[in-house]
Amino acid sequence: MGAVYISRTVAALLCTAGLVGCVQAVPPDLIAAVEAIDQDLIALHAPETAPEEYRQFVRQWALLKARTQLDDDVIRWPWESGDLENDIRWLYVMGERTVSQLHDRQVSQQRATQDKVTRLESQLHSIAARIEAIDGRILLGEKGVQTDLFVKQARSYLDQKDYPRAMQAAEKADHALKAQASLLSQELGRYADDNRIIYWQILAKQTIEWSRTHQATAIVVSKAERELSLYKNGRKVLSYPVRLGFNGMLEKQFQGDGATPEGRYHVTDRRGQGQTQFYRALALDYPNAEDRRRFQLAKRSGKIALSRGIGGQIEIHGADNERLALTLGCVMLDNPNMAVLYESVPVGTPVTIVGALSKQNAVASALTQFDRGKEEI
Amino acid sequence: MARRVALVSITLTLALTAGCADPPTQQVQDAEKALKEAQESGAATYSAEEYAKLEGTLAAMRKEVSDQEGKFGLFRDYGKAQELSASAKAESDRIKAASVQKKEEAKAAALQAQQVAEEAVRATQDLVAKAPVGKDRAAVEAIKNDVEGLKSLLKQVQASIDKEDFPAAQTQAKAIHDMSQGVSTEIQNALAKVGRGKPGRKK
Repeated sequence: MGAVYISRTVAALLCTAGLVGCVQAVPPDLIAAVEAIDQDLIALHAPETAPEEYRQFVRQWALLKARTQLDDDVIRWPWESGDLENDIRWLYVMGERTVSQLHDRQVSQQRATQDKVTRLESQLHSIAARIEAIDGRILLGEKGVQTDLFVKQARSYLDQKDYPRAMQAAEKADHALKAQASLLSQELGRYADDNRIIYWQILAKQTIEWSRTHQATAIVVSKAERELSLYKNGRKVLSYPVRLGFNGMLEKQFQGDGATPEGRYHVTDRRGQGQTQFYRALALDYPNAEDRRRFQLAKRSGKIALSRGIGGQIEIHGADNERLALTLGCVMLDNPNMAVLYESVPVGTPVTIVGALSKQNAVASALTQFDRGKEEI
Repeated sequence: MARRVALVSITLTLALTAGCADPPTQQVQDAEKALKEAQESGAATYSAEEYAKLEGTLAAMRKEVSDQEGKFGLFRDYGKAQELSASAKAESDRIKAASVQKKEEAKAAALQAQQVAEEAVRATQDLVAKAPVGKDRAAVEAIKNDVEGLKSLLKQVQASIDKEDFPAAQTQAKAIHDMSQGVSTEIQNALAKVGRGKPGRKK
């Protein structure tokens, strides 16, 4: 009886031990937890935005999964240590850490990119307005639209949550904005050059003085202020706003550059109704001897192509509602103002066109703002 | 006795021969080749998640082959390696097909965006031809300058398409389209203000 009891007990213990030993190598909930980490990484776009981290994770996970499948065939005693389980737990912990790091990184990337793109958009908007105000858009050539494109691309990538590409486009926009500011400084820097302004002031003063001493009329045009002033006997009698050539802020160099010439000129002809397409016009003696000398010098030094002409037919004229030809470099007034001017100015009247008459001119202050913007960028 | 010894020798030889399993070289090579093809099809870009997992499977396969090779011949079992290589091969083929399709879709979307942008720039160019001058000569020239710039930017879209960077091409084309529309609006406003006129002359 005792022997039977002992035999039964031993058999029962063996069965229990056998059953307990037939446990799975890795708890299914642990596997599910790692799978959940994988899903979290996918939700964070880790395969695209952090490919190296994601590759490391899935590589480890694939190796461990293969081991898990192999271990399914092995019977393990409950007291045996599970290396595989430990490895998967380690991967889980590492995965959790990666998820947390990626999440933090993305939040910070999103914030940084959002800030940068928003700042760029605002800077572009403000710079574009300033450029427009000084007729500098053409000066920029394709740089203007190129910068706009980068900023729009950056916004587009940001909306797609592709922060690395958004940042890349924003960096390009940064460079393009700096290049714009540099180009404008290079082309229009003379408006902020004190010596140049003093020279222009002297030119204007001499013209006014001539008007006084000769008891005659004289005209002074300031490009930066976009103002034409008529002097009689050395006294300013009227001032009108003017429009310039499409590249009017530049110093005229050749035919077709759209720039308005600077220097001392004279009215050579008065063109009334039927003699001009511009309501009324006062023809100037551009190019004068100084213009020709400068032009030849520039040609000889290779600054101007040999095929270029010096241009001509520069006038002070009224407005006409016509389609534009390729190039213009005149000084244009509204018709009522032109009518008054036309009646006040005889042939031979000196006309002095200068860049600016004050150090705080519109172009100089715009350039200062560009420089400030450049530093902010 | 001699017969018994011979029998034992034969049995051992047979067991050893049968136990020395060969690695699934061909299958492994096929799987590696399929992975390379998937990668060349753009899987890393267009099926990034699946491609990363595929690389993981290949790594597991290589490890398994290496583990088995490290074992005593009699105990080598390449069953799992075969299973992994077969699954990697099948998965590679599937990912490759999916990537090719996604890439084609991205290309089609980029080409479509490019076409829309080209049409917008063309329409803007047509409008520029009608642009009035009146008091806004500088503005019209600036608009013309912008349109020239937009035409030039279209080349960048083509360059991105040529480089198969379709997301970049798409965003560029979309931006050009938006900018063209902006310029068109500017011209239409000018047209509304001033109206048309006759040609001018050179200076």
